[in-house]
Amino acid sequence: MTRMPRENKTALLAIPALVYFLLFFFVPIFMLLTLAFNPKELGNITIRPVLTLENFKLFFSYPVYRQSLVNSLWLASVATVICLFIGYPVAYTIARTTSKRIQAFLVILVFCSMQIDLTVRIFGYLTILGDNGLINGSLTRVGVLARPLPLMYNAFGVIVGLVNISLPFLILPLIGIIESVSPDFLNVARLLGCSRWKGFLKVELPLSLPGIITGVLFAFAISMSSYLIPVLLGGWGRAVLPVYIYQQISNQGLWQRGAAFAIVLLLTNLIVVFALIRYYSRSYTKRVLAA
Amino acid sequence: MSTPALELVDLTKTYGKLTVVSHVKARIDKHDFFSLVGPSGSGKTTILRMISGLTTPTSGSILLDGKDITGLPPEQRGLGLVFQNYAVFPHLNVYDNVAFGLKLRKMRTSDIQTKVYDLLDRVGLVGYEKKYPHQLSGGEQQRVALARAVAPNPKVLLLDEPLSALDKKLREEMKFWLRSFQEDLGTTTTYVTHDQSEALSLSDHVMVLNAGRVEQIGTPQEIYESPVSMFVADFMGLTNCFSGTVAAIKDDQVQTRLTIGFDVTATARHRSFEPGQSVNVFVKPEAITVREGRGATASTVNNFEGLILQKSYEGVLLRYKALVAEQQIDIYAINTSENHFGEGSNVTICWTPAGVVVIPADERKRGEE
Repeated sequence: MTRMPRENKTALLAIPALVYFLLFFFVPIFMLLTLAFNPKELGNITIRPVLTLENFKLFFSYPVYRQSLVNSLWLASVATVICLFIGYPVAYTIARTTSKRIQAFLVILVFCSMQIDLTVRIFGYLTILGDNGLINGSLTRVGVLARPLPLMYNAFGVIVGLVNISLPFLILPLIGIIESVSPDFLNVARLLGCSRWKGFLKVELPLSLPGIITGVLFAFAISMSSYLIPVLLGGWGRAVLPVYIYQQISNQGLWQRGAAFAIVLLLTNLIVVFALIRYYSRSYTKRVLAA
Repeated sequence: MSTPALELVDLTKTYGKLTVVSHVKARIDKHDFFSLVGPSGSGKTTILRMISGLTTPTSGSILLDGKDITGLPPEQRGLGLVFQNYAVFPHLNVYDNVAFGLKLRKMRTSDIQTKVYDLLDRVGLVGYEKKYPHQLSGGEQQRVALARAVAPNPKVLLLDEPLSALDKKLREEMKFWLRSFQEDLGTTTTYVTHDQSEALSLSDHVMVLNAGRVEQIGTPQEIYESPVSMFVADFMGLTNCFSGTVAAIKDDQVQTRLTIGFDVTATARHRSFEPGQSVNVFVKPEAITVREGRGATASTVNNFEGLILQKSYEGVLLRYKALVAEQQIDIYAINTSENHFGEGSNVTICWTPAGVVVIPADERKRGEE
């Protein structure tokens, strides 16, 4: 019997995870996606050897579905941008905290919001954003508002919710990258004549770009595919694509259509991911190639 | 006396109860290469950071060309800084790194270009302007950092252990190069290092720091040949320390009686001693001559019989450990045929009074006042 080289043996450690992903991720996703190319058939989830694009045609021929994709895109984009503006200062502060204990504590605080189940968190929002919630309730009682502000069941509510769920995923990768940018870069820039803010913009911000890209990708993908938040905080008026995927499968029993809609969502997400990565690697390879 | 380029007045930095820098005073003249040297924790980097404005002094002030800059933010001080890790901006190419400070000064593009190419020429990096830092070696990055720092004509150039990250051979080359680069530009330079030989070979003046206090300021020669304290002597690498008392003073020579039983004569170097004063006597290993056999020299002072214990062959130098009156001493000799002695051989050891440093034994207390 020949002995396996050491590095091949180490690869064996990945087998459990590989089997798990194969069985519970790749196989079901592959099956579902294949269904998208079968003609619709109520309640049927077996794959048949009949190929058609009618499910996709249906998606793009109905304005309500097309609009749901647009809704998803702009809600996710706005939420991601807000996340970046809120999250970057947080990540920066944590990354530049010199005390390791305080830093660990702050990271745990960021994680905290992820410790509570999403449904519970959303219902928590109702107590703040609802017509009788903390904001509207107190403002109408005091007399500042005659009528409660529409804080929920609209885009505002959805964006607040999306920012909440994506924020930790944007902050965490950013912390590591900003930390890896030595404070000496800023110090040198200041000695050369930059103000604190200018030095940040000219040196620290561009050097933390990889972290920004990673964080934005996370935040965007999470916001795009969120189902519960648009449903519970947005109401049906702001229907997003995941809502229709659910509706096709769960309410109408049309798995083939649901699968086709899911592919549209997946592809849109992938296009954004690749565009961002390309933008980043282009700006990077451009300098390497130029030399 | 002209206004010094940089003056430190009673500079002090404390963190809570910990005093990192204590009442440091110094005048650094224009065009001077001034080194701050000391072991880690001696406060040298803190002083540099206070000069640059990255750390705020607890008390005291910093004068640049006679103007108080203690409260100014770093960007308004007009200083250049090179860090130990160079901190060359990784997202900018060599040209843009060097031009960084010039662009902030709203200079004309053509003027910036002239200046950058002149500096790239001085640091030997013409043809590298489009390269990015990750394509450069450590030595090249360092020269980029240096060119970047001097580009805006800083009043003082601050260097924080710029050679310590380089390998030994490159470090030796860079040392000479750095000195001639500085002399060409004439920029007043403050250099921080923990390496005493670097400080000695580069500087016009050296400040030796110990636990946040100034031990001695002087030319390299003054520091090495007449250290004022045990700490400086020890830090400058002086070995062969004997304790004793002053026996007699004759002209500029001090005669000391060592506790191990014999007399050593030393040059006084403008210091006053009193007979009976207890002192420490250092004999420089390179000031010692060795002759084969006993009673081999005619010299009347500092003439002793000894025994070679150990020999170490180091190329240029031969290092010996010898026994003189039950005390082990170090000897450095140039590797020539007459300087070879076998282990166990009886020799005559002698040294000139100029090779002996006498330091008052209570000098150490000075730092604790």
